[in-house]
Amino acid sequence: MAINLSKGQKVDLTKSNPGLSKVVVGLGWDTNKYDGGQDFDLDSSVFLLNGEGKTASEADFVFYNNTTGAGGAVEHTGDNKTGEGEGDDEQVNVNLSAIPASIEKATFAITIHDAEARGQNFGQVSNSYVRIVNGDTNEELIRYDLGEDFSIETAVVVGELYRHGGEWKFNAIGSGYQGGLESLVKDFGLNS
Amino acid sequence: MAINLVKGQKIDLTKGRSSLSSIMVGLGWDPVATKKSGGFLSNLLGGGGGGADVDCDASVLLLDENGKLTAKENLIYFGNKKSKDGSVVHSGDNLTGEGDGDDEMINIDLKRISPSIHRLVFVVNIYNAQKKKQDFGMIENAFIRLVDNQSKEELVHYNLTENYAGKMSLITGELYRQGTEWKFSAIGEGASEPDIGSIANKYS
Repeated sequence: MAINLSKGQKVDLTKSNPGLSKVVVGLGWDTNKYDGGQDFDLDSSVFLLNGEGKTASEADFVFYNNTTGAGGAVEHTGDNKTGEGEGDDEQVNVNLSAIPASIEKATFAITIHDAEARGQNFGQVSNSYVRIVNGDTNEELIRYDLGEDFSIETAVVVGELYRHGGEWKFNAIGSGYQGGLESLVKDFGLNS
Repeated sequence: MAINLVKGQKIDLTKGRSSLSSIMVGLGWDPVATKKSGGFLSNLLGGGGGGADVDCDASVLLLDENGKLTAKENLIYFGNKKSKDGSVVHSGDNLTGEGDGDDEMINIDLKRISPSIHRLVFVVNIYNAQKKKQDFGMIENAFIRLVDNQSKEELVHYNLTENYAGKMSLITGELYRQGTEWKFSAIGEGASEPDIGSIANKYS
């Protein structure tokens, strides 16, 4: 049975699930139920961070235009442009045991593509969640529903997988930011 | 001092203001000024309905917890000005939208809203839009604001700044329950539904 997290909560992933290595990080959302005339294109991305909390290079920023990172240990399965339907809208496959030792954290974010031009923000997005599924058994291990926290933000850092001793843990972050993906990219140390 | 909202913004209305109950929701708009140059000809040719008055109507959909309109009585508009529980009262129709300030007003007693109602969606639409070939491209300065009836303080103000050309209805914002509090969300989305009846159908 999945553990339902609340904001700020940290849980152990590998310690309570010995042998776990392949996980699927599923990200889901529902967009504006009103006819805004513009599609909502939400994108998920992963920042692979070193001990300083920065991406060492562009290769450590995994998103729709760079779908693999960490030497193939992190793989984004591709862009979903509408967020329609039930279940995960985008997924990231992570092989925890294959992540290079230089990477301490994998931070997951959801951003709104072209938010400014389309006049969109997370106030128009509901039912966002992140969940972690055992890639071998398909069992849902952790689920974090982000709830009603967002308003005018255009980027949300949903959570992070991080090393703690020899284990991997998950932290439910749920922090919103303005400035979209670009601001996150800068915050995590890339200048593009 | 009023909080000026931007699209998508949500704010808590009653938290820290537990005595708040009687509020006025004011909806305003202006017809786009007709261009002086060439006015004679364009009036003669009726250029895109420019000559006729645009009659906007404000209405409120009282929705249940699943976001559904469960009874006809839960649509408050010029033809049904008062909700069954008496909590929502529409102060009446304004046919032109001229002049400053609120064009139509809706008074709401939050504490009297039936527990089955979870969401109040505020809509402005153009009366007879299809027949008169009118749309929200002919309307400007649309806003929704919430005023505390006791203190007369304006609590929130949201100016709808987009170009809504081609749209015949406008979802301005919504009041909704969250736990024991009421919150307000600035929506500002246009809709293609030509009248309030078809908007209501969307929620049925």
